[in-house]
Order: sequence, then structure tokens, then C-alpha cells
Amino acid sequence: MLTLSFEDGTIRIDGAHADSVSKPDLDLPSIDYDPRSEAFRAPAYRYSDLIGALDEQSVDYTSRLSIPSLDLSSTYELREYQEAALAAWRENNDRGVLELPTGSGKTVIGIGAIEALSVPTLVVVPTIDLLDQWRRELCEEFAVPVGQLGGGEQRIENVTVSTYDSAYLRADDIGDRFGLVIFDEVHHLGGEGYRDIARLLAAPARMGLTATFERPDDAHEVVAELIGECVYRLAVDDLAGEHLAPYDIKRLTVSLTADERERYEHAQETFTDYLKRSNLTLRQGSDYQKLVMRSGTDPRAREALLAKQRARDIMMNADGKVDELTTILDRHRDDRIIVFAASTEFVYRLAERFLIPAITHHTGTTERREILDRFRDGTYSRVVTANVLDEGVDVPDANVGVVLAGSGSQREFTQRLGRILRPKTDGERALLYEIVTEETAEERISRRRR
Amino acid sequence: MLTKDLLRVSRASGGYHPQFVDHASDDHRALAARVLGVYQGHVGEQHEALDEALTAIERESDDFKLVRGFAKLLEREAVFETQSPIEPVHARRTVFEAAKAIGVVTESERTEALSRAAERLSVSPDKLDACLYDDLDARQVMTAFDARWSPDELLDQYDLSLAQTALFDATDVRVRSSDPKALVSAVKRLRLMYEIEKTDAGRTVHITGPDALFRRSRRYGTRFARLLRTIARAPEWHLQASIDDRGTERRLQLTHEDVSVPDVDPVTEMTFDSGVESDFAARFLSLDLDWTLVREPEPLAAGAHVVIPDFAFDWQPHSADFRVFFEIMGFWTPAYVEKKLSRLADLEDVELLVAVDESLGVGEQIESLDHRAIPYSGTVRLKDVRDALRRHEAELVEQSADDLPNELVPTHDVVTLEALATEHAVSESAIEAKTFPEHARVGRTLVRPAVLERISEQIEPGMSLSAVATVLDEDGIDDTSAVLSHLGYRVAWDGLSGGTIREK
Repeated sequence: MLTLSFEDGTIRIDGAHADSVSKPDLDLPSIDYDPRSEAFRAPAYRYSDLIGALDEQSVDYTSRLSIPSLDLSSTYELREYQEAALAAWRENNDRGVLELPTGSGKTVIGIGAIEALSVPTLVVVPTIDLLDQWRRELCEEFAVPVGQLGGGEQRIENVTVSTYDSAYLRADDIGDRFGLVIFDEVHHLGGEGYRDIARLLAAPARMGLTATFERPDDAHEVVAELIGECVYRLAVDDLAGEHLAPYDIKRLTVSLTADERERYEHAQETFTDYLKRSNLTLRQGSDYQKLVMRSGTDPRAREALLAKQRARDIMMNADGKVDELTTILDRHRDDRIIVFAASTEFVYRLAERFLIPAITHHTGTTERREILDRFRDGTYSRVVTANVLDEGVDVPDANVGVVLAGSGSQREFTQRLGRILRPKTDGERALLYEIVTEETAEERISRRRR
Repeated sequence: MLTKDLLRVSRASGGYHPQFVDHASDDHRALAARVLGVYQGHVGEQHEALDEALTAIERESDDFKLVRGFAKLLEREAVFETQSPIEPVHARRTVFEAAKAIGVVTESERTEALSRAAERLSVSPDKLDACLYDDLDARQVMTAFDARWSPDELLDQYDLSLAQTALFDATDVRVRSSDPKALVSAVKRLRLMYEIEKTDAGRTVHITGPDALFRRSRRYGTRFARLLRTIARAPEWHLQASIDDRGTERRLQLTHEDVSVPDVDPVTEMTFDSGVESDFAARFLSLDLDWTLVREPEPLAAGAHVVIPDFAFDWQPHSADFRVFFEIMGFWTPAYVEKKLSRLADLEDVELLVAVDESLGVGEQIESLDHRAIPYSGTVRLKDVRDALRRHEAELVEQSADDLPNELVPTHDVVTLEALATEHAVSESAIEAKTFPEHARVGRTLVRPAVLERISEQIEPGMSLSAVATVLDEDGIDDTSAVLSHLGYRVAWDGLSGGTIREK
């Protein structure tokens, strides 16, 4: 009889004779003979295919991976489209990716899946904020202890929330504990290292949640193999006006001060001079990579890069932006405002200037949670942050957003927008300000996006 | 370990060569000393100030990554603390509440909020303003720095860390080590897997991660890096790694000459698990045999496991290249004995000698596994081991004799049979069976006829024996009586030592 067991991110199959290496009497998907341990193995993510094939061929086996059944129920009433998304996923053998806009309640669909399957579940999320948010929701919904991997804790329970980083580190160790795994912001899973999480877990049921599944590097195809195809898709426009608040965008341009302009030009010159002297042109991203590589050994290349960085900082953190922000804050004294700045340094400058709570990657979990809670309950009405709130964090009822510097990435921009796309109680339209510096590369980035 | 952005590696001719520091160069030592000095000199100052000082060194140096690498290692020995008149989180909370109440936009509103909060906290507004973010990393103060290393030790530590960092992108490694036991147990501890591979240079442990069966993965790179610490503690080792360098496969080679573990003296003396083993080694080494004793020689494949025998005997005449492994099986738990026997059953095909404690009563079982068993009680008898080895000797000698041509022409004018036997790694009797067309055999020495002729001219009847010995000594011949006899003389002895030459 065959014995299946989980071993360091693989399924080990004992009891099959080694002569089946050359003459396999079993037709099993992706198993290989491992001479190191003299047993057969399959990658853990093929576990459900494997037992499917064994059952189909009526092969006798025991599996040491026994996933217990839990009794989980929730109070959520799914909306129509949430119901439809969940049904599509269940029809696809409890596998696949759901693409829904930010603010459409992806968490609720995940909770629906956990309730429907009632098996131990691992939820994998990209940020500490999402970790907190999922934990809070799960604790409220299900009367079970909720484990946490990441953010300074390593505690496993039948329902556990983990960061991608912790899941990457622990997957080969805990891969047999869960029957269902939910990847929030699943496009992250396409990253070279993070793929391992899905590879090394044995969980048969897999759900991916995202607002933007397509990746420019086609890594979503890898995700499709590990999680399943995209089985449900809903665009922002399908929801706008119904479940999401409508919003307007205002775009403001500021100039560099004379002093800033001088420093900017000087830094820019240092950079272009170097390019000229060393016969380099920057036509595409790979040219820039070449320059970065060169700076590892050539001090002048490094000086040029540092100058480029200084120029960028001057432009991103221009004094004019602070003035413009002053005007906006004055105009919106009774509103709830989130300010985004590109650099951590700038975030702290604004926090100290306007005495607004700041959230960056330096902010500890407790304080971060406190600031968000206080923003939620109205103790604070403003928050300034770098990129950490980009994805899916529940920041209720902010009606004004200020983006002080953007990058050219489409995803970043839409997700930042999504941050303030929340239904407002009095129906007033939300407002997004974008402040850019005049006649600089930054302005071109903003124009390109339109 | 460093971070990957600080890796200094050359990809010359398709390889992957970590750029180790030049220990002979004063430049590198001076740079290390300077970075060390910056840390020592910044105790009591904010992290920002330290960073500025380091940046200044970076800009003057040709190699900023080297400066940062040193700093990275020293940073771990520095203690940073938040030093603030008020706990910053508490200060912020109070200030933000006051700011919200006022709705700070203008400078004057800001001043107002700060002074309200300052009143509640009983500090001055200026002080409060200055300490709001004292807990940020950049504003923390270095309160202690423990310089564990001298500049030279910092260089050693850097090399080790650099080599570890180079392994981050490794997909597998192959290691030969003079301490295979430590290697194998570290591999297991790190949840890696191994296979034994035979190579010309000896058995190599091929180390991979579990998932390697399906996919080349860099996932185990940090584990390989940790493994290097164990590997580098051995006095002699060699490591070869395949590096997945952004899709290009490159080869990394490291040896004990590149990297060592600072603060650790490599153990060059033999170490032993039991008294029986150490006692045996001491007695064996006092014998002068044609076999060299090697402690924990190399790992042998035993099915999915590995066996590292306690000793090996190497047939000294190296051209023969023959090794007998030797395992001393002491009395242990029945489970241990059971496991040991099952490993021996799976063992690859090698010459293995097993000394078994008589009380185990498993000698026959071992013989049935095609290994030679020597029962012992208390201590292993040298004679038994000697006898077991002697069986091979005869065979080895015969083998090497067969490899020799029937006619031998030694290059020396004078050579003893013994020296010639050693030179060809055969027994003297094998040499005796050969013919020597250009030499005459005189006793147990081969001498060219020209030499004999010259000697013959210098010898005449009536000479004292000691005078003859002096003549022969010039040609390096000490077999005086055989030469005399060959030339037709005899010795008339007077007393115990002296004598006179007479014709036969």
C-alpha cells in the first residue's frame, strides 16, 4: 500500500517499488523518483491531483495529511456579485482567481469561501495593515482563535493570517496544515520567490483575490497554474455609483523655488555630463540597469547616480508642494484627508509641519493600528503616509485624497484612487488632488498616465 | 552575512568569484580600521551623524560596497537607543490630539497646538517639537559599541560574510571536507538533503533542497550560506556551487584558503568519540606500517543515508591508491546496533573492516554483509588489524609488481633494492625478480660496472677495512663485505671491529 506524507514542501510517496522508476505501474501526475531518499515525490501543490488520480485508479493508499473539518459560520449576507464570484470559484473545483475592484468587499468573499468549505485556512496578505484587517474580520466572524504569521508574531491556528514574507519562509514547514489557502492581492504571487508559497503548500482549495490580475511580465500565467485561472472578473465601472463612491480628480502644478531650481539643474547636469562623457544613452530601462551595475565598480558612475537621486528628491519634495498642501488643508478643514507622499523623509517633514499622524514602514504595528483606529473613530481627521496604505486597507470615509508625487505605474495609481473610493454618508463626491512639479520628469509621468 | 546589494563578485570567464579582501594590502586593512574607528568615535551620537561619516568614507574610497560591507558587520555590534525627554509615541499622541482640536494649517496654529500639548506634558514647546520623532532609526543614539574585532579580524569576518552572501543565489553545492560528520549533521539540521558522489578527488557530498527534485530553486541559498559557517570550521575543505545568476548559470568555488571562521582555531588534532577509538589510533600510529591512518575519511553512500567510518587505512605507496575503511562498533543500544547493521547492508561497494565488541554477537552478520569483522573486547588488537591489512598487502604488492617491466634501468649509479622497491611501490622480493641490464647486483645493492671498476682500482690487499669503507662511502655504498666479496677479496678480522683486506 502507498503512504503519502508531507515532507518539507513535497509529498513523499513510500511503498512504491523502485523498479517503477523505469516501469511505472502507476499513472500519477508529476511524481519523480528521488534517489536522495529512495522514495517518490511530488511538489506539494499537486497533492489534490495526486489523490484524485489514485482514487480514479482505485489504488490503495493512506495519507498522513489529514485535514480536519471545522464548524465555521458567518453572519455576512453576500451581495449579488459576491455570490456570483464565489459560485464561479466553487464550480472550478474550489480553485481560481477573482478579479474585483478595490472596495468591492473581497474580504467578504474570502470569508464566504472559508464558511463554505469549513476547513483549516491560511490567508496570505502583502502588508501588515491587511494582516490586521483580516485578523479583525476573522475574529469577529468565526468563534475560533485566529493565528498570525508576521508582524512580530508566529502563531499558527486552524485559521491563520500570514504575510507573503512569513508564508514564504514557513511554507515548507506548515504546508500540510491547511485545506484552503486564500491569497489576497494575488498578483504578488507572480514574484519569483513568492511562487514557492503556492508550490510548497498542499492545500487543495486555493483562492486568489486581486483588483489587477494582469502583470506586464506575464507572471499571472504562473499564478494560474498554481491557483487556477481567473474565474470571475468585475471592472470598477460595473460597480461605480452602486457600491463605490464617485470621485473627481484635480491636478495642480507647482514650480521649483529659485534655490531648488539651481540645485536641481546642478544635480541634473552632473548626471547628464557623466552620460555624455561615457557615451551612454538612456533609451530604455535596461540602459539604466547597466548604469546601476557600473556604479558598483565605478565611483564616477555612482556619483552620477547619486546626483540623479538628488534631482529626483528635489522635484518630489518641492517646497511648493508644502504650500499647495497648506491651501488644500485650509480649504478642507472639516473633511477627512489622506495625504500620500513619495518618500518617507517627506512624510515626516509634513507630519512635523502640520502635526498630522504619519504611517510609514518605520511605524510600529501598535502605533499604526492606533492611528488607523483613531482615524476611523474620528479622533484624527488626517493621516499622512508613504506607500504602505497602497493596497486594500480599509480606511473608511476619507473623502479627500492628496497625492504629492506619483510614479508612472498604472497599478499604483488606481490603487491609490481606490483608497478613497468609499461610499459617503451624505453622498458628496470624493475628491482627489494630484500635485506635481512643473516641467520636470515627474510631470511627464503624470501626463503619460492620462 | 551581508545583503545582496553589497555583494562584490567578479564574473570573469563565466565564473562567480567573490572579491575577497587583499590581506597583504595595507589599503584594505587601513580602510577596515577607519570604518571601525568611525563606529568607535560615534558612541553617544545619532545614527544620522554616523551615516554621514560613513558616506564621507564611501565617497573617498574606490569601493563603496566594501565600506558598506564593513559597516554592515560592525552595525550588529552597536547598540542604538531612543533617548528622549518624553516617550515619543506618547508625545505624538498628545500633539496630534491637540492639533486635531485646533485644525492645524498655519504656522501660528501649529505653535498653538504645540504649546497646548506641551502644557499637558509639562515640557517646553521647543523641547516637545524637537523630540516628536526621536524614536526614528535615524535619530536614535548609539549608546554602546563593542568592537569584537581587530581590523585584521574584520577582514576575515568580511571574507566569510562575502562568501556566504555569494551563496544566496546558489541552487546546489558540492562539498569535500576533512570533517564530514559535522557537515552531514549540519545538512540535516538545516533540513537540506544530500547524496554522495564519487569523483576523482574523493567522495563529495552533493547538497540540495527538497524541492530541487522538481525545480532549480534559489530558495535554499540562505541555508547554504548558513552551512558555510560549519564547512569553514574544518581545517580542509572544498566547495563548489551552481549559482543562478539572474538566469545565467555560474560556478562558484571556495576552499579553506579563501575563507575561515574568525575566533575559531581550526582543529587539526584528531578528535575521538570514544576511548576505544583514541586508544586504537595511538597504538596504531606507533607502528611503522605501509598504511597511513586517516580519521573520519569521507562519507560513504548507504542507500538514502550516509556512513562516515571512524578511520581509513591508506596504502602508503601512493601510486597504488588503495583504501580500507575501518569502523569500530562499540557497545550501544540495540536500536543503534540495528540501525548500524542496516546502514552497512546498504553500503556502497568498498573495503570495510569492522571491529565489533564481542558482547554484541553480530560478527557473523557483518561477515555475511561481505565486510570483514574483527571481534574485540575492551581494546582492538593491533595484530588482528595488521593481519586483515596484510591480506591486501600481498595482493597490492603483486599488483604493482605486475605493472613493472621485467627489465629495470635505475637512473642512479648506485641504488639499493630497498630504495628501488619503495620508489616503485612494490616489495623488495618483486624487485629481486627483475633483471638489471646496466647494473651489477652486489648483495642488496645495484651498482653500475664503471663504478665497480673505479672502486676496484682503489682497493688493494693489505688495506684496512675502515679505509675501504671510506672509499665505498664516497659512492654511497654501505654494503662493504658484499662489494669486497664481489671483487675477490675477503676480510681478515682482528678483534671485534678492525680488519685487513686479503685476496680470496
